[in-house]
Amino acid sequence: MIQGLEEIVPPELEVNTTRVTAYLARRLRLYIGEHAGRRRAIVGLSGGVDSAVVAHLSTKAVGPENTHLYLLPSSSTPHDDIVDAKAVVEMLGIPEENCREVTVDKLTKELASSIGKAQDRLIVANIKARVRMILLHGFAGSLSGLVVGTGDKSEITIGYFTKFGDGGADLFPIGDLYKSQVRQVAAEVGLPKRVYSKPPSPALWEDQSAESELGIDYPTLDRILYRRFDLWWDEESIAADLRIRLSKVERILEQVRKTQHKRYPPEVFKLSFRSHGSDWRYPREWG
Amino acid sequence: MRKVRLGLAQISSRLGNVRENAKQHAAVIKKANAEGVDFTCFPELSLPGYLLKDLAYEVVDECKAALNALARQTGEGQRVMCGFVKQDSLGLIQNSAAIMGDGKLIGTISKFFLPTYGLFEELRYFVPANPKTDLVAFESKSCKFGVIVCEDAWHPEPVQALARLGAEIVFCLASSPARGISNSEHAGALPIESQWMALLRAHALMNNVFIAFVNRVGPEDDEFFWGGSTLVSPAGEIQAKAKKDEVDCVTADVDLDEVKRARRFSSFKDYRAEFHEVLRDL
Repeated sequence: MIQGLEEIVPPELEVNTTRVTAYLARRLRLYIGEHAGRRRAIVGLSGGVDSAVVAHLSTKAVGPENTHLYLLPSSSTPHDDIVDAKAVVEMLGIPEENCREVTVDKLTKELASSIGKAQDRLIVANIKARVRMILLHGFAGSLSGLVVGTGDKSEITIGYFTKFGDGGADLFPIGDLYKSQVRQVAAEVGLPKRVYSKPPSPALWEDQSAESELGIDYPTLDRILYRRFDLWWDEESIAADLRIRLSKVERILEQVRKTQHKRYPPEVFKLSFRSHGSDWRYPREWG
Repeated sequence: MRKVRLGLAQISSRLGNVRENAKQHAAVIKKANAEGVDFTCFPELSLPGYLLKDLAYEVVDECKAALNALARQTGEGQRVMCGFVKQDSLGLIQNSAAIMGDGKLIGTISKFFLPTYGLFEELRYFVPANPKTDLVAFESKSCKFGVIVCEDAWHPEPVQALARLGAEIVFCLASSPARGISNSEHAGALPIESQWMALLRAHALMNNVFIAFVNRVGPEDDEFFWGGSTLVSPAGEIQAKAKKDEVDCVTADVDLDEVKRARRFSSFKDYRAEFHEVLRDL
């Protein structure tokens, strides 16, 4: 592992980057091309580690010429994130015509005002994430592409995303990699150090920090989730092993339970004998 | 020397698209005819795809029609095995393998052990085969051979029984999905691949048979089948191996006399039923 990564990648979560990236790029290519019958990967690039890794995988899957990256900043986007996003674009060799920057402030403000909540930070943040989703799907539709989501396993598991916002993608290629693992992959495929070493943030409001908001650092969060769901440990054993308060573990796992609805399609109340839900047992890939 | 040519047809089936998958089978069979391949084996549920869920009920008729058409394309003396969903009685469907050759359907055999954990939910849909009535070694012009389906290789009895019924080659139709891809401890083979290789070699050694493992390759929903189809000799040596993660059809020539020699220089003949009597009561 690259020196310095030990602090952000717990040893038990270390991945085989060569194998993981080859596998994910293959899956992405097959999904976009053979399953969906599309040509292009549409990625919203934030300047953070998740979208940088997804952009990298997309270039490996469909080539830089079929990878379209969109910078969708707002007034709360740190200037450094825009600089970092542009560095990723350059590093990946994305053609100039495949990149576009669209500021989302105006659309966000209009929508927030129209529901009378322009001062509500959380509502504005969610609108912002959904504006980005709408734009990305619009670009995907116009380019015969798929919106390649950037959610990682940590965020998906604790529901740290906006439903129908950044959660509204066609697929999540890094959705089975914890944040720590995404950072390791980013480092080992040669993405800029600033991208994988800076504190993660959705940047939906100024100075937002994911770890402050969650009340836990990502390596610890990932170690809790890994022990609970990959290894099936109980809460007491996790707290003892990680030498942290039980209440901290309980709080995280409560967040997992409370956000379960975000990981499922909307509920359909059953009336017939066979409804869309537990009875609708057809594979996603159908013929 | 009794030489036969084996073909491991590692294809990528499209889930629920029997018609398209049958075309893939037909192309492989045509090539096998041209190249004088004696035995050609496809993966588990190769005609309809593996993760069928409720489609399992809906592909039955298409599988039957496709099998009849494919069987007609098989040559004299040739043996071809492929996976399909079988229904002998309405509502009772099985995860089965068809054995075709001489221009016709020769027989079928169904899966004895149906995995039902994690992504696997076979007992929800399929009826298991009954060893007392369904276990059979098939015949070709060169030897007897057996056919098992995937999970049957994770238990000692099916291969053992087929070998004692006279099978010199056991074909294992499989749909083994990749697991632990991200795990850094396994820099080379995936854990599941290492486990399969250990199983295949153990079966080959303990039962003095050729084992031809034919695994599906490619994606089905969130799963990805890793391929790596492998032929193991009665001495436990790997004689042929298909690529991992890619469609690949490989052939290998084997000398069946290896089986005879191995069985004369091992404890193949020894079987103690008392162990199964103990197991039955545990």
